[in-house]
Amino acid sequence: MTGIVGRVRDALRGERPVSPDTLISRLEAVERFLRVVDGHLPEERLVPARTLVERAAARLALSRDHTVVALAGSTGSGKSSLFNALARLELSPVGVRRPTTGVAHACVWGPLEGANKLLDWVGVLPRQRYVRESALDGDDEAALHGLVLLDLPDFDSVERAHRLEVDRLLGLVDLVVWVVDPQKYADRVIHTSYLRAFHRHRDVTVVVLNQADRLPPAELPRVLDDLRRLLTGDQLDGVPVLATSAVDQTATTNLRALLERTVTERQAALRRLAGDVDAVVAGVADLVGPPVAEDGVDRGAAQQLSDALAAAAGVPVVAEATERAYRHRAGASTGWPLVRGWRRLRPDPLRRLHLPELNRAGDDTDPARPIAATSVPGPTAAQRSAVALAVRGVAEQASAGLPASWPNAVAGAARSRLDDLPDALDGAVAATDLGVDRKPVWWRLVGGLQWLVTLAAFAGLGWLLVGYGVRVLGLPSLEYPMVGQVPMPTLLLIGGLLLGLLIAGLVRPVIGWAARRARRRAETRLRAAVTEIARNCVVAPVRAVLRSYAEARDALTAATSQR
Amino acid sequence: MTTHGEPAADPGRAAVVPDPPDDGGAPAPAAPATDGDGGAPAPAGDGGAAPRSGGDGDGPVHEPESSDTDPTPAARAGSDARTATPTPTERPSTRQPEETTPTEPPQPGPDDVLSGLPAALTRLRTTVAATAYPLVLPSADDARRVAHGLVAQLDDYLLPRLDRLDAPLLVVVGGSTGAGKSTLVNSLVRARVSAAGVLRPTTRSPVLVCNPADSGWFRQGELLPGLTRAADPTDEPDTLQLVSAPALTEGLAFLDAPDIDSVVDANRALAAQLLAAADLWLFVTTAARYADAVPWELLRTARDRGTVIALVLDRVPPDAADEISTHLSEMLAAHDLAAAPLFVLPETEVDGQGLLPEPVTAELRDWFDRLAADAGARAAVVRQTLDGALAALAPAVAGLATAADDQAAAATTLTDRVRGAYRGARRGVEQAMQDGRLLRGEVLARWQEFVGTGELFRTLEARIGRLRDRVVAAVTGRPAPERQLQSAIESQLVTLLREAAAEAAENAHTGWQAHPAGAALLDPSLARPSDDLPERAERLVRDWQRDVLELVRAEGGDRRFVARSAAYAVNATGLAVMIAVFTSTAFIPTGLEVAAAGGTTVAAQKVLEAIFGDQAIRNLANKSREGLITRVNALLDEEAARYTARIEAVGVAPADDGDTAVQAGPGDGLRVAAAEVEAARAEAHLTDGTRLALPGASS
Repeated sequence: MTGIVGRVRDALRGERPVSPDTLISRLEAVERFLRVVDGHLPEERLVPARTLVERAAARLALSRDHTVVALAGSTGSGKSSLFNALARLELSPVGVRRPTTGVAHACVWGPLEGANKLLDWVGVLPRQRYVRESALDGDDEAALHGLVLLDLPDFDSVERAHRLEVDRLLGLVDLVVWVVDPQKYADRVIHTSYLRAFHRHRDVTVVVLNQADRLPPAELPRVLDDLRRLLTGDQLDGVPVLATSAVDQTATTNLRALLERTVTERQAALRRLAGDVDAVVAGVADLVGPPVAEDGVDRGAAQQLSDALAAAAGVPVVAEATERAYRHRAGASTGWPLVRGWRRLRPDPLRRLHLPELNRAGDDTDPARPIAATSVPGPTAAQRSAVALAVRGVAEQASAGLPASWPNAVAGAARSRLDDLPDALDGAVAATDLGVDRKPVWWRLVGGLQWLVTLAAFAGLGWLLVGYGVRVLGLPSLEYPMVGQVPMPTLLLIGGLLLGLLIAGLVRPVIGWAARRARRRAETRLRAAVTEIARNCVVAPVRAVLRSYAEARDALTAATSQR
Repeated sequence: MTTHGEPAADPGRAAVVPDPPDDGGAPAPAAPATDGDGGAPAPAGDGGAAPRSGGDGDGPVHEPESSDTDPTPAARAGSDARTATPTPTERPSTRQPEETTPTEPPQPGPDDVLSGLPAALTRLRTTVAATAYPLVLPSADDARRVAHGLVAQLDDYLLPRLDRLDAPLLVVVGGSTGAGKSTLVNSLVRARVSAAGVLRPTTRSPVLVCNPADSGWFRQGELLPGLTRAADPTDEPDTLQLVSAPALTEGLAFLDAPDIDSVVDANRALAAQLLAAADLWLFVTTAARYADAVPWELLRTARDRGTVIALVLDRVPPDAADEISTHLSEMLAAHDLAAAPLFVLPETEVDGQGLLPEPVTAELRDWFDRLAADAGARAAVVRQTLDGALAALAPAVAGLATAADDQAAAATTLTDRVRGAYRGARRGVEQAMQDGRLLRGEVLARWQEFVGTGELFRTLEARIGRLRDRVVAAVTGRPAPERQLQSAIESQLVTLLREAAAEAAENAHTGWQAHPAGAALLDPSLARPSDDLPERAERLVRDWQRDVLELVRAEGGDRRFVARSAAYAVNATGLAVMIAVFTSTAFIPTGLEVAAAGGTTVAAQKVLEAIFGDQAIRNLANKSREGLITRVNALLDEEAARYTARIEAVGVAPADDGDTAVQAGPGDGLRVAAAEVEAARAEAHLTDGTRLALPGASS
């Protein structure tokens, strides 16, 4: 029965050997995954992956011609006896005192030199290394050339140190032969703590029922079946289950044959690492979930955010001030020159907010000029709350559907530059060209016209005054040219004044309309600047996290084996 | 090893004990419990003054402590006599009235001495069973397990055993899977009573073997009441198969327990329960297993509990017997278990019936025969184990008490974190209202519009103002400025509250996340404020606005002002009061704007002063601010209750408001109950303090 199962498995194995390139690309995917999730996910969840990457690099750099096989099992199951039986030499001390073996022993088939580095890495002391290469054996042992057999300590005795040593070694070896015996094959510790944890390493797991000679021959199949049932419960269905006995050399032939095959294939190390990758990928599988759009911040949330930021940055205040400043300045340019001076007494609304002309409109190209802080009133508590709510909204909306840990990362990213926001907003407002610094041509025209009519009025007045003075002095009175019935100077004076007032009156609605336009323009520009800030300070970090998530997903998909 | 008086005593007891129709053995268990006290003065004229130690000395025996056989029959005679006396009931909890029964003045009767114990134990059981450890803490898992085990042990063993100190000695055969427990039991009773086999684990439901004469007591179900008695082999969980074996000496029963270390978890739990109910542990291990970690843990527990242990080292290869038994003896000595007798059985072939060959088990059988024959030794074993188990209660309960305190402390910590988070939110809201920041910005702009158009003054001329406003509103379709101002305050307050609640929820969530117990109680909805919070916040603000209007109306009513001013004026006044609430502290001159705001505030105040007078305005402002804060507090408390309700739902009450030092922690109840048991145990003097030394394996 074992033979059949084994043959079927071998057939399956033969069809899909693990290629080193595939394995390396999967390992690289795991590395990539670690790189992109760094800082976003709890470190303790990533420990197995980090260990794997380190371990795999070390193992692949070492001899791939050797296969490290460990005999692991409970105390008293006969690991050392089996070890000696396989080596056909008394290498590992065998005893009745439990626990017998305290440190790992290694036996190398073939020259020791090649395996020394490997054993250094595995951590077997030099004096516990033996070489199984004897001229006497002739070709008997040649089939096992490249085998490094380890005899591990037990993991269930009162010596806790043994268990730690076993745990360490089991992470490093290529193939594990679990040695159980009729007394202990159903022990909890071996199944729960060990075999179950190796269910992804089915390819490199072998279970042997040692001391089979102690069972009545008729009972052996029943016990083997029961053992297989337990292994199925450990999700290890289909692993080779062999009955062995150290007393009888022939009873180990099965195991020897299996080891010979493994050594010849040179696949165990790769399969072991492939299983490790499987385990790591499964361990972190719940850290990624469904795909998300990379620009997963929807327009509504972003709009809300820029609204809130605009309110907090005082955009309405500045826009209002812009409108008033436009009126103010337009009035100063186009108003009736006689009363224009009054305006000087009133402050310019924009200057009051400390929004002086900057290097706007490109006439000053020194970009290094620092931007001064404005006097725009700071945000109210409610506005600040609105900003915080909007940021929260962006984070929540972007992280909807993400698996645990990621929403935290997204929220953290959304808030990462919250402290920079006030200054960034203020700077944006200060640096925005509000479009009221240059005098439009029509202001100058109207202003010139005003001056013209005022000059005309003054000319008329002067003319009249001269005429009056001439009359007072008794000189012959001047002859005013007449326009219709009205003398020219009078017409100039009154017409000039009236025209000035008329122009001012006519221009006023135009100014009002233009001021509103200027306000709208300023508002648009400020909003654009604020939106830019929102993008830089809130949305960009969120997108970066979402990108990491997508990359982590891709990496993990690449690391998953294509079975 | 015993005197010849003993066999005579046994039938006497056998006559009493296995007789189920004897009114439920009710009076009987109560009485023997008293005189089983080993030489302590029997109540009815039994030379009650004889000290316990004296009893030890006068037996013509080899082992000093197992010697005292004489008092037992005598006492039993006394007890038989006492069965006729009107003992109320046999239940431990109701045994206290018996304290008055003994009439011997010089020394209280043993009944009296013992009677405190069951009552104290029952109280302890109630307390332990009532204490839960629902929060996920490092100590909680252990505590739950220990508490469960403790209650089980009290029910299964301690209470019934105290009731009947002279009931047959129960030897529980426990050990690793594959150690050969069933084979050993079968061999000891020379019958296939428990199935043995090569498949592990073999025994899944326990088998109890006893002499037919004793089966009444075990069938009765006082001991291990949670297990259903069955006559046939069964695989049902929670059953105890009872088998009578005539080959077994009376007074002794073997219980073949399931293994302690196989993959079948139920077996382990059951084995632990059975071992806790043992008078004597017969620990079976093998040459391959004797250094396994799991059994040694159990042995340590047994040692700490003072349980009497005997060991069987089974399946020893004949040539290794010396080395292994020496090593095992060393290990036993290192674990302070050197006193436990050790029997070494070689690995042999079983015979056709599946029994070990007679010579192999002869020594062990012999040892048990002697124990069975010696009632005094049996009683000593029972007392030693009982006393040890009782003594072990105190440290176990102390551990439980610590765990219970941990639970309360964790609940307090979690509650504090929630409170802290919401306190922060509350403070933020209060500050926002206090320093008038809410008023700047939009509210300020609206207020200036309001004042600038002269509407405030206009509205004070109530009728005209109201009429005109209605006309204007009707013509333009725009809401009156007053409305706008109100909604501005409303929206700002709602935003403020929503953000405060969101931040508090997040902080509370983070705080709980960082705590293992908190993380287990959380669910995603707790990271956010409750879904209907915006509606509730809006409702809150509207309610508060109505309150303010009502307040103004009431205040004004006193001055008979309302009678003359129309509703609109009151509305405007209320509005002004609302604004005063926010601005009354905003006089810090930080620029023109504040001056402007201050100016308008002064204007509003002046107007109001004109109507109500200065003091009245201040009162109004304070009252309405307080009203708002009270409402906000209530809202935030409701939000916080979402968290604290989770703690309450799992049944842990946090200590109140930091007065933990004064209040009694939940662990104190346990400590008191344990102290009572300990005191009762000390009074009962079950053993004389020296450790029982069982007869050696090789005699």
